[in-house]
Amino acid sequence: MTLTFKRSSPDTLPQQGISRLEIASMALDALWSNKLRSSLTMLGVIIGIGSVISLTSIGQGIQKSTEDSIRSLGTDVLQVMAGAAESGGISQGQGSVTTLTWEDAQAIAAQAPSATIVSAYLQQRAQVVYGENNTSTTVYGTDLAYPEARNTFPESGRFFTEEELTVAESVVVIAPTVQKNLFPNNLDPIGETIRIQGEIYNIIGVMEEKGSQGPQARDDAVYIPLTSMSARIIGNNSLMGVAVNGIYVKGANENQLETVQFQVENILRLRHGITSPDEDDFRVTNQADILETLSTILGLLTTLIVAIAAISLVVGGIGIANIMLVSVVERTREIGIRKALGATEEDILSQFLTESIVISVLGGTVGIVVGIGITFVSATAFGFPFIVSTTAIAIGVGLSTSVGLVAGVIPARNAAQLDPIIALRSD
Amino acid sequence: MITLKDITKTYFLGETKVPILQGIDLQIEASEYVSIMGASGSGKSTLMNIMGCLDRPTTGHYYLEGRELTTLHKNELAYIRNQQIGFVFQQFNLLPRATALENVMLPMVYAGVPKAERLQRAEAALAHVGLGDRLTNRPNQLSGGQQQRVAIARALVNQPAILLADEPTGALDTHTSQEVMNMFHELNEQQITVIIITHETEVAEQTKRRIHIQDGQIVD
Repeated sequence: MTLTFKRSSPDTLPQQGISRLEIASMALDALWSNKLRSSLTMLGVIIGIGSVISLTSIGQGIQKSTEDSIRSLGTDVLQVMAGAAESGGISQGQGSVTTLTWEDAQAIAAQAPSATIVSAYLQQRAQVVYGENNTSTTVYGTDLAYPEARNTFPESGRFFTEEELTVAESVVVIAPTVQKNLFPNNLDPIGETIRIQGEIYNIIGVMEEKGSQGPQARDDAVYIPLTSMSARIIGNNSLMGVAVNGIYVKGANENQLETVQFQVENILRLRHGITSPDEDDFRVTNQADILETLSTILGLLTTLIVAIAAISLVVGGIGIANIMLVSVVERTREIGIRKALGATEEDILSQFLTESIVISVLGGTVGIVVGIGITFVSATAFGFPFIVSTTAIAIGVGLSTSVGLVAGVIPARNAAQLDPIIALRSD
Repeated sequence: MITLKDITKTYFLGETKVPILQGIDLQIEASEYVSIMGASGSGKSTLMNIMGCLDRPTTGHYYLEGRELTTLHKNELAYIRNQQIGFVFQQFNLLPRATALENVMLPMVYAGVPKAERLQRAEAALAHVGLGDRLTNRPNQLSGGQQQRVAIARALVNQPAILLADEPTGALDTHTSQEVMNMFHELNEQQITVIIITHETEVAEQTKRRIHIQDGQIVD
């Protein structure tokens, strides 16, 4: 006689069975009885989640701090730079010759309807001396519109006046870093005199602190009238007038920048006799464009680093799967006993799956705390804003749960499907 | 109570058929005291596994209290193991990390008995086997005889109809063996069906009915 084993549905089973809570407590017991192994396994998840959280948060902090510092330079500003000179076919770099002049700046101010503020500048590094102290800094020769164009104003004292600019007065406004370097004893610098390339200048103001990120560190600078700079420090002028290194042009707002740029380019081409944009002897850059490019790059970099960190999470998951597989083999007899006493396959499956999820969620929780800690310490040490993204935490919790689930599936299934007879006989 | 009809069990090792049980017909009534004897390889352990719902026969019918078990879902078999059958093994098979009390509570955990009741029933069961003062000891802190008594308490705690013992005295010395056997006598007097699988004649002689198995068949 041959029987076919038709599996009837377990509808005669009582509703009452082992509770989830009971299974969770069994899982915790098993993990607790193997503390060292459990915590080492957890370490994989802690490192994985910790690095994902901290790198995401640090990335966002750096991105925000970079964007803020670029934005503080003014995203409503165009910068016109003198073009590259060619000497025997070799480019000398932007601004190396003085194809731009102060007169160009004045023409833009007069003729570009959308330009609200126009400021020309000359710059050069120079040694600045006060008494026995000296420092090397950037000397800017600028006009009166400079503070507004660059969003940076004197904190004490004043900027120079139109008269001082016209007569090329020897007055200087210094920035905070220079103040720190030259006046370490908290002496009020206003009214003192300093030497720039041997010439004496009266300090009439100190600029406010702007933070020192970016290529143009405005805190380490001194400002003198453009006319003084041109006549006494640079001492070389273009045939066309007072040569400048660059011109800042501000529009009414960010949306106006494209219009302003169009007007500026046309005015300059007319003045310089240029017919094709390819022959431009100047270049116009836009802070908003820079901001956008930089944000994109930083965002990509953050994503890339976090993706690398996520690999360590995968490794952590493999660690859990590995330990669970070993644990199932070691506990073959236990599984047999449990089955003989009435545990169903589902009971055994949930027990082992719960163990794996508990390891990973506990590890994930510790990892989140560690990640936030690392972010806080780095933010404090490197001075970027401390941002903990809730998205990152949500992703951390979700990731650790799913890592535990995925890592536990195969070991738990192996355990559940063990034949109780063989399991009971194993040593 | 137990009715086995033409039970066969055949293992397949690759292409080779290995017949273990070859047509077992057996009837065991409620509150009987039975021993199943046989040499190793006779098929007595396989028979016990089938009666204990740990294994299924290849062919044949198994009725427990009139209910056909061979077609049941594995979860229903788990439930029968939990409720109707108590197991006692040669190697005790206690969970090594759990205390005596926790070991005895385990069948009730899977039955979904509330914690307070579990505790109370497990304590009573351990007191019943004379281990009322050993509740929190782990198996490695107990002697072999004590461990086997914990296992008996665990087997009885869900009030099963049948007690299945597989070589219950095999790992014990003569004195302790007799203590364990006395416990089985007592349980049988309380109307529990006791089935002991053994190869020791001294053990079998203490039961009321002896069944001999040889080459997968009942010979007497």
